[in-house]
Amino acid sequence: MTGGLKVYYVPWRPFVMQNSFLTLFPSLPIIRTTLIRERITIVHGHQAFSTLCHEALMHSRTMGYRVVFTDHSLYGFSDAGSIHMNKVLQFTLADVSQAICVSPTSRENTVLWSGLPPEKIYVIPNAVDTAMFKPAVVQPSRSEIVIVVISRLVYRKGADLLVEVIPDVCRLHPNVRFIVGGDGPKRVWLEEMREKHSLQDRVEMLGVVPHAQVRSVLISGHIFLNSSLTEAFCIAILEAASCGLLTVSTRVGGVPEVLPDDMIILAEPDPGDTVLAIERAISMLPKVDPQVMHHRMRELYNWHDVAKRTEIVYDRTLKCPNQNLLVRVSRYILNIIC
Amino acid sequence: MDHHLASDSPQVRPRWRKVAYGGMQPGFDDNHTDESFLEGMVMNANVVRRDMLKVMLDSVSISEYLCIVALVVLVWTYTLESTIDENRLLCIDVSLLVLGFLILLFTQEKISLSILVHHYFLNISFFIMGLYVLAPIYQTLTRSISSDSIWALTVSLLVIHLFLHDYSESTVNAPGALKNPALTSCISVNASVVASVFIASRLPSRLHVFAIMLFSLQVFLFGPLVTYCIKKYSFRLHLCFSISLMVVTLSFVYMLHCLLFVLLLSLLVFVNVVCPYWLIRIQEYKFEINGPWDEAKLCFAITD
Repeated sequence: MTGGLKVYYVPWRPFVMQNSFLTLFPSLPIIRTTLIRERITIVHGHQAFSTLCHEALMHSRTMGYRVVFTDHSLYGFSDAGSIHMNKVLQFTLADVSQAICVSPTSRENTVLWSGLPPEKIYVIPNAVDTAMFKPAVVQPSRSEIVIVVISRLVYRKGADLLVEVIPDVCRLHPNVRFIVGGDGPKRVWLEEMREKHSLQDRVEMLGVVPHAQVRSVLISGHIFLNSSLTEAFCIAILEAASCGLLTVSTRVGGVPEVLPDDMIILAEPDPGDTVLAIERAISMLPKVDPQVMHHRMRELYNWHDVAKRTEIVYDRTLKCPNQNLLVRVSRYILNIIC
Repeated sequence: MDHHLASDSPQVRPRWRKVAYGGMQPGFDDNHTDESFLEGMVMNANVVRRDMLKVMLDSVSISEYLCIVALVVLVWTYTLESTIDENRLLCIDVSLLVLGFLILLFTQEKISLSILVHHYFLNISFFIMGLYVLAPIYQTLTRSISSDSIWALTVSLLVIHLFLHDYSESTVNAPGALKNPALTSCISVNASVVASVFIASRLPSRLHVFAIMLFSLQVFLFGPLVTYCIKKYSFRLHLCFSISLMVVTLSFVYMLHCLLFVLLLSLLVFVNVVCPYWLIRIQEYKFEINGPWDEAKLCFAITD
């Protein structure tokens, strides 16, 4: 592949919603062969919900490799699923050399549930490919304001909030149109809302939008609406800002830290407040220049910068002393006790 | 204006900002821990401070319901042994009904006699007629099943009923209130009704079956409403009623069997004394963390 990137395929069959089943030791031969054949020095795992990540990190530590873990999500502390996930992650992270989080809020969250000292966790945000997400050469006319929503239509991404907000906004502003891209279990509710309020000509449902076509959907709009209930870092917002759209989002998780205040308008996850925020965005729209926004995004987010910062983390990892078995086992036992 | 400031002072590095954009902040590492670290964390925000006496008084309603169920099982046992015959049982039924109506009339100030007649009386007479008509079906329902299975099933169903019963009485309300009952309270009501049907099917005659079904369903379906009305009217009345109920139950169970008396007594002591003390002891270890990383809660009802 390009740039000397090699991809190894592990033939586990996914069984529900693209998840594959947990295998503790059957993945050891594959991982061991790959690590030895490619003469790996650092193993970097991503995403806490991936069983392959946990197993790879565990086996790599058994074989003595240095390990870095990047966390892309936020976890609560109150429901049964979160408690279970936190416990699993505590074990994996008991032994990791360094950890990376994608936003300062995510870093606080990780420190709390993993018990790692804050110095071991670095904040390296994601970036956006600004070369691909360019604003349109000819701007869509501002006589009719188009609000774009592209997300998975599930509870976590605030689809219920959308169902409440869209009719109110359409009623208050007759010149506003919505484009909703994405699919999911809550799509039925959105269609129902469309029928109930007769908004078929003002709300367009696109279904699943392949990633290559996201830009063409984005540049047909003026405002991007993100209604998620929890986000560690929202790349969709970056893509929208890079295409020159003004963003309206719920104030959750790491979203307030992602964009400067003049490019994003935050609202509480409440229908009334979200409608007010959309009205503020509509009034701010004449002052917004998509090309200026795009150039600013080029300065603010850059994948080369992310790569440089990640390299610094790798250098620090290599300098970490290799701890002996007793110290590592004691850290695991501490997790069992507490 | 600030020329001398610019020439004298060394380069003051800008303050660290809690933001993700702009690349690496100059002068700061990516793992820099500011004083504002974890300042959004709130600990034990929703924890209720509990008082021992109040918890013990609240647990009285649980033991009251346990005694009611114990009395029902007592009546079942006596009926199955033919100690109580069907006429006596019918008298018990009628007196319970009248007593329940009187308590409702007494404790609900807003309710007038006409509403009582229209709403409750009519419904209950339809209910009784339906039960009388269906009694022959219940009598022959479990003829092919052995008695041991019936006793075992009944005991398990009653245990399930007690476990899943809604002791907070959130679903019991005066007529007109709209509340969706939780799944567990529906399961517990069903378990108690099925247990009553099993016991009723072991009895010899149709009148027996009708009387015992009426008795069991009266207690299981209307009992919570009556106790809720008493509790709402006056807490003292509720306490007196519960304590007298406990004394009556314990004396009847003592007359039946000594071991059961000891079991019931220890259960009541456990529920009323040991559990509140235990709850307050382990509350000290409660550690609840809330902060900006929590998933937002939607404040409107989601029709799902």
